[in-house]
Formats: sequence, C-alpha cells, structure tokens
Amino acid sequence: MMKKIIAIARWEFLEKVKTKTFLISLIITPLLIISFSVLPSLLFRQEAPRVEVIGIIDTSGIYFDNLEKELEKYVLPDGQNNYVLINLTQPNQDIEELKKISDSKVLNNLLEGYLIIQTTSNDSVFAEYRSNAFGNFEIVSRLEEAINSVRIAQILQREGMETNIISQIQDRPVVNQKKIEKEGKVSDLDFLTTFFLSIVFILLLMMMVIYSGQLLVRSIIEEKSSRLIEMLVSSSTPDELLAGKVLGLSLLGLTQIAIWALIGLGLVGTALVPLNAFRNVLPMLIYFILGFLFYTTLFVGIGSAVNTEQQAQQITTYLSLILMLPVVIAMPVIQNPDFIVTKIFSYIPLTIPTVMVLRLNVQNVSNFEILLTILILVLSIIISIKISAKIFRIGILSYGNKLSFKEIFNWLKE
Amino acid sequence: MLIVKNLVKRFNSTLAVDNLSFSVNPGKIYGLLGPNGAGKTTTIRTILNIIKPSSGEINFDGKPITYEYYNIIGYLPEERGLYKRSKVIDVLKYFAALKNVNKKDAVRLADMWLTKLNISNFREKKIEQLSKGNQQKVQLIAAIIHNPSLLILDEPFTGFDPINQQEVKNLILSFLSEGKTIILSTHQMDLAEKLCEEILLINDGKEVCAGKLSNIKKRFGGNNIRLGFKENGISLKEFPEIVKFDIYSNYTDIQLRDDIIPSHFLKKLIEKIEVHHFSVIEPTLNKIFIDLIKDDIHK
Repeated sequence: MMKKIIAIARWEFLEKVKTKTFLISLIITPLLIISFSVLPSLLFRQEAPRVEVIGIIDTSGIYFDNLEKELEKYVLPDGQNNYVLINLTQPNQDIEELKKISDSKVLNNLLEGYLIIQTTSNDSVFAEYRSNAFGNFEIVSRLEEAINSVRIAQILQREGMETNIISQIQDRPVVNQKKIEKEGKVSDLDFLTTFFLSIVFILLLMMMVIYSGQLLVRSIIEEKSSRLIEMLVSSSTPDELLAGKVLGLSLLGLTQIAIWALIGLGLVGTALVPLNAFRNVLPMLIYFILGFLFYTTLFVGIGSAVNTEQQAQQITTYLSLILMLPVVIAMPVIQNPDFIVTKIFSYIPLTIPTVMVLRLNVQNVSNFEILLTILILVLSIIISIKISAKIFRIGILSYGNKLSFKEIFNWLKE
Repeated sequence: MLIVKNLVKRFNSTLAVDNLSFSVNPGKIYGLLGPNGAGKTTTIRTILNIIKPSSGEINFDGKPITYEYYNIIGYLPEERGLYKRSKVIDVLKYFAALKNVNKKDAVRLADMWLTKLNISNFREKKIEQLSKGNQQKVQLIAAIIHNPSLLILDEPFTGFDPINQQEVKNLILSFLSEGKTIILSTHQMDLAEKLCEEILLINDGKEVCAGKLSNIKKRFGGNNIRLGFKENGISLKEFPEIVKFDIYSNYTDIQLRDDIIPSHFLKKLIEKIEVHHFSVIEPTLNKIFIDLIKDDIHK
C-alpha cells in the first residue's frame, strides 16, 4: 500500500522538479516577496540624508529667526543641520511678485520649497508651503510644529510668562504604541511591519496553494485526457493515486517554501526583516499547513470533475481569490480585530488560515479560539478528503461531457 | 483461468452489462467483440477491478479479486497516451514500480523490451520526440513490463503500420506459449479471426453469441458460395435455392438454403448462365458480426 503511494509521490515530485516552470517560480516568487517585504523598510529608511534648503517669506518679520532655532534640532547623521532656511522676504516687494520669483527658484531646484507666513491682526497665522510635489509630509509637519510653538511662545511671552515655563509647556509628550504580549512581554512592532508581514504570509500561502493546486489539477487532467488514468487505476487503487499525488506535490511545494525560507533567513541576517516578526511561528505554521491541505484536497475534487484545463482554471482562480479576501479586509481587521465580520470570517474554513494569521499578528487571540479554529479546519479537511476522493474515484473515468452538479451529487450518493 | 459469472453493471438507470458469463483459458486468446457502446469497456473495467460490478462474480485462478490482483494484470487501453514530457526509460520505470517490480528488475526488463521492439535507441528520449507508432510500443511495454498473467489488450493494433502490426502480433503469440491468459478486444475482425480461439460477441451489454470460433463458423456458416458469372439478364432472385446474395464488382457472395448441396446447385446454374468462378466459402467473422448485430437490432 505505502509502497505504491511513495512510488506515485516520487514520480509526481521528480517529474515536476525537473520542469522549467518549477525553476522559474522558484526564482520569481521570492523576488516578488522580497520586493513586498523589503521595499517598505528600504523606503522608510530614506530619511532625507541631505541638507534641504527652504525659503521663508515672513511678512511679520518675527518668525524667521525663531523658526531657524526650532528647526536646528533636526540634525543629519554627519552632524549637519537638516534644514537651511533662507529669508526670501523683500520689504518693499509685492507678495505676488515674490511668489513668482520664488516659484521659479523651486522649479530650478535652487530651493526644496518655501514657506509663506502671513499674520493677521487677530493673531491668527496663514501659512502655505509651496514645493514641486505633494506628499512632503515630514517637512510640512515639522514646519507646522515649529510655527505653532513659535506662535504660542510669542503669545505667552507677551502675556508676561517666564521663558523656562514656556519651554516646559512646549515640551510635548509623544504617545508611543505598544502591543501587550502574553507573559507580560511588550512588543513595539509598528503597524506597517505587522501589516506587511501578515500580507507576506498570506501571499506565500496563496502562491503555494495556487501553484501546487494547479500542478495537481493539471496532472489529473493530463492523465485523464491521455487516458493514462486507465492504466494507472489498473495498477493501484484510486485512493493510493490520490494520496500519492497530494503527497508528492505537497512535498514539491514544501521544497519551494524551504528554499525561500533559506533566502528569508539570509534576509533576517541582514536585519532587513525584523526578527521579532516571527513570534507566533507555531500557530502560523499550523494554519499554513492545514490551509494548504484543505485547499489541495478541494483542488483534487475539482480537478477530477472537469475535463479541460480551461474549466479547471476558471474554478481554481475563484477559489484562490477567496484566499485573497484577508488582504481586502486587512485594514478593518487591524484597526478593529473584534469586529463581528472578522469574527465570522475566522470560523469559515476557506478563510480561517489567512484571517487567523492576520489576527494573530494584530491582537491577542485566546488559545481557545486558536484550538477551535484549528479543529474546524481539521474537520473540514477530513470531510473534503472524503468528498474529493469520491469525486476522484468516479470522475477520473468519466470523460466527455461537462459534468452537472446533479451528476456529481449522484456520485456522492453512490 | 478467468471465470466471469453473471456479471451485471448498472449506472443509475442504464444497464451497461447485462448478465454476462464467460471463462478464459490460459494459453488462449479470448476475443471480446462488439460494436461501439456495447459494454466492452465496462466489462473490461470490472475485470480490471477499476469499477465494482453491481452483481456477479469474477474469479482468477480460483480466487476472487484481491489487492494483489493489481500486480498480475496488464492492461493496454484503447485510447493511448503517455506522459509526453517524460523520458521513455523513466515512464517505464514508473509503471514497473506501480506493479511492485523492484528498481533493478525494472531497468533490466525495460531494456530487454526496448531492444526486442527495436526502439532501444529512444531510451533517453522524451516521449513527445517519438513517432506515434513508437509511442504505442512504449505503452505496450508499460502494460506488460511486470510479466502479467492476465493481459487485457484493447485494440492493440491500431496506429501501427503493417510491419509493426506483425511485430506486435508475434509478441502476443509468444505470450501464449508462456501460458498467459489474454483477452483481446477489437473491431478488426480479420485479426480477431486469426488470433482468437474463442470469442464473446456482445451488444447492448448482452451476450449475442459465444464459444469456439470454429463452432460459431459452423453454426453460422450456412451454405455459402462465391460466384463469378457473365451478366445475361437473368436475376439471381429467380433461383429458389438462394436465401440471399451480395453483389460485389468481381464476385457475388451467395447464401444457399441449408438443404442445397453446392455442387448440385452449380449444375443447375451452368445451364442458365456462364460461370467463370465458383467456390464454396466459409463466412468471415466480419460477416457473422454484421449479420448478428443487425439481427439483434431488429429484434
């Protein structure tokens, strides 16, 4: 019994490993994943490692010096000031004229951008930052903060407050986000890292499911359409054939994952991927393997019920899209893990693996919930194996017409 | 010896095999004949243990079918196909492994058969690089590499040129001397006639006729002659001795009433028409097949 299963698994594994498709997906997938996981950290590292020249048009004349002082606290790693301010204010010039001249300076890259500050009689301030791009969130928020503190200091000083009290008031506390872990540990993984790591995991599962699942379906359909299946089932039982195929192609998928994991460990070595991301490794692995098995057995049932690759591809594409669902609902899950919809999705077998992985990373899921979902998944796998094996046993020998659901239902009753 | 007793296979409402019984002796080729859709494939599949019969028994060498059975049967399905992108030797090794042949023997046997069928130079080639005929040879080897004691061949000759057909025929005949039990399913009646000692003709899942080919021929042989004559306006319908006739371009095949002696009829003929050919003929299996199936449909 086992001998034949192993023979079949060996064949499926070796014949697929030798193909070019395997090699290609082996290389392309990690490239994709690396770009997904590493690019964000690379992007966030680019914290303006150069001096930026910023122009100031200050009609009131009180802000320029103070702003310069405020911005002195931003220093580049080499000790230079991050920002150099230039006063563009010309006392006798029209403001519109001034804007025109300054705009051209920005466009000629002489300035990073420039700030216009106008005060009105009742102490309110109008400020405008002009540059050749939107999205300079960092400089804008720093300028905002600086203007505000200068303005408050001005008002307080006018009211006769002492300087050291003013600086005490200006010392604003910052709220840091921490997630409480079990056993009182505290994690300071930021939102983006959590998000990207969960997405990477889901993508990995999805790719493996689609890849192995399609290999499986293709292998069944090839044997069906060439009628090879008849020789095979006169040599082994359909259950052996099924078990051998799932075993062989799962091992193929695992081989890929193993190779990718090695690449991943290499990345951890270079600290591009934060190590503490791998906290929930055990439940994640369980969800991964169970999820993979569940989808694989579903694919087998589908593969044996259809006759052409086109039919199969249609159905497998829809199934794989379900795996993508967590990416869609990721935002609400992260912001509100107790949201009822997320709860529901974490008990539907098709979405358990991915939604639970996402939740594991953003909240503390109780052990009871983890065990319950794993149990549901295991039960679903057993049921799906039973149904798929039945469809497989009959489906592999029925060619020709497209099957109706009614027919498949009749098989299941048989 | 393979014994099939009261085999019935029902698919939902349709009766694919309707109470078939037959036995196949070792060292003989048994012909399983019938038109398309007669139930041959279903019968073969139940014998192969691919599908379970609705009722009836199948025994091989005195034992009902068990798991071990898989390793002693060989099957060449009617429609051919192999793993196109795999190497010839790998495919053969795989099929041997599926029949529990160990690796060393598998390679030895594969090489032996490849040499025997003159395709050893394709050993390391991919299946898709082989001609259709050579692919079929590889498939034939895959079906017999484990030296099965029961061999079921479904249309083994299609797709082969005459030279290869001869090779395959010799191969099958060589199995007979080894005492293998062979079932041959085919539409090529001339080949079945040459190879099979016993036949089973089925239609609509039911037995139409079964037994030793020589007996069947005697039974359905009737009284047939082949006649060549010069046309002179006399119609063969005028002879009360003639049951029916088929006119071909050079000859006319005539079936006489059972009580008519051919030579007496010849005497009578010569008086009326100019005869230039006269012979007594045995009916071909082809003709028996067509007549029986036609009768069966009319019933």
